[in-house]
Amino acid sequence: MIKRPQNITRRLALAGASIAIVLGGAISPAWADRAAEDYIQGILDEAFVALNVENEDEKLDALAELVDKYVDERRVAIFTLGQYARRITDEQKEEFIPLFKKYATIVYQDALSNYSGEHLVVTGSVDRSERDIIVNSKVANARPGDQWAEIVVHWRVYRNRDGSMNVLDAGAENIWLALEQRSQFTSVIANNGGGQKGMDALIKQLRDQVGA
Amino acid sequence: MRGYFLQACAAMTLSVVILGGTAHAQLSNAGNAETLSEDLQKAAQTPTSDVPDPWEGFNRKMFATHMFLDNNLLVPGAKAYRAVTPAKGRKGIRKFLHNARTPSILINDILQGEWKRAGKTTSRFFVNSTVGFLGFADPAAHLGIESHDEDFGQTLASWGVSSGPYLFLPLLGPSSIRDGIGAGVDIAFDPLIYIDTDPARFAQYSRAGMTGLSVREPLIEPLEDIQEKSLDYYASLRSFYLQARKREINNGRTTYDDLPDIGEFEEFDDLE
Repeated sequence: MIKRPQNITRRLALAGASIAIVLGGAISPAWADRAAEDYIQGILDEAFVALNVENEDEKLDALAELVDKYVDERRVAIFTLGQYARRITDEQKEEFIPLFKKYATIVYQDALSNYSGEHLVVTGSVDRSERDIIVNSKVANARPGDQWAEIVVHWRVYRNRDGSMNVLDAGAENIWLALEQRSQFTSVIANNGGGQKGMDALIKQLRDQVGA
Repeated sequence: MRGYFLQACAAMTLSVVILGGTAHAQLSNAGNAETLSEDLQKAAQTPTSDVPDPWEGFNRKMFATHMFLDNNLLVPGAKAYRAVTPAKGRKGIRKFLHNARTPSILINDILQGEWKRAGKTTSRFFVNSTVGFLGFADPAAHLGIESHDEDFGQTLASWGVSSGPYLFLPLLGPSSIRDGIGAGVDIAFDPLIYIDTDPARFAQYSRAGMTGLSVREPLIEPLEDIQEKSLDYYASLRSFYLQARKREINNGRTTYDDLPDIGEFEEFDDLE
């Protein structure tokens, strides 16, 4: 990194902030992205309300609504096709994306349902770039001795050109859902003849899976 | 019970290490030897650099064998084990089995030059084998001597041996060439296998069996859940394993540098 004089004020401010954070007992990287953290905490607060809904169907509906509102499923869908994303037809793409949305919603509902009654709170964030931010969270006030209390849940935030944000991926302990989905989908395509033929097979299997 | 996915993630990192104990019984049922050797030959000709799983054909056959054994042996066994033991008892058994692995952990501590850890391992073994009632309890942890795990795969890694291709072995689960060899060597570190008497053999096999059940039992629901949600269970497990291993290679530190970009970030290059 090149040291420039105008950075000194910023550095001092950062150093001051770091000391304040350390004194406060929390650990947070200096390159944290406050806006992305607030964005995720807002979603987690909404999720907390949704997760406390008694009726199971209503709870799942509320979670589906959150996923639809915040996750950029189209972008993730294309990502999960890996190298095949460029080799399939537009019709296949348009057929795949809504199916993926359904699939991703089920996966998120399932993952989040496990946190029923718990409140996830943001613990910090790391910028991969200005537009690609990892926000970390943990269960608040976890019961002592709960072995899952220490698990870090990550959220991958994407900042759009206009400054608005979306969620791209979620993970735990550095194991990410979209990466696992890409592994599955590209494997299904490859093992069914690859390319457009393989894509047809994936669409069919996905349709069976989500019951569409 | 909550956190199936998360539990599975955490368990995935552990199970590979712990299952080393069951390696005795596994390699016999390898299916059709001819097609397997063809698979391996094909794999050897595949460039490994950008393929995460160059031995996929071979691995998928091993996976099929594993699924057969898992459905017919491990899962029913683990369910029966859960039915007849209280949760606290199972926790004690897990601790006992871990304590019984101490000699192997100690050798690996020493081979890695981790003298402090070796000292801890020795103290833990003496405290837990005596006051800890043969290891069923863990008073050493209360004394501040926390447990840790080592295996020969990790020792090889610390010596700079790269993991080699992804490898799936029946009952052992997801692994790599390095860790698969490591599991074999860890068996050689076990003093029990050098005692050639019936009681020793009995102890050895029952310990291997118990380890299998003890590891599989908490994974019944998490793995069932992943399998149910998955289009390609083999690829799901492989991805979870490879992602978890990346973290292990970084000694448990979480790094976000090698995550792939999601979406067309390049369109914003001029803005960054």
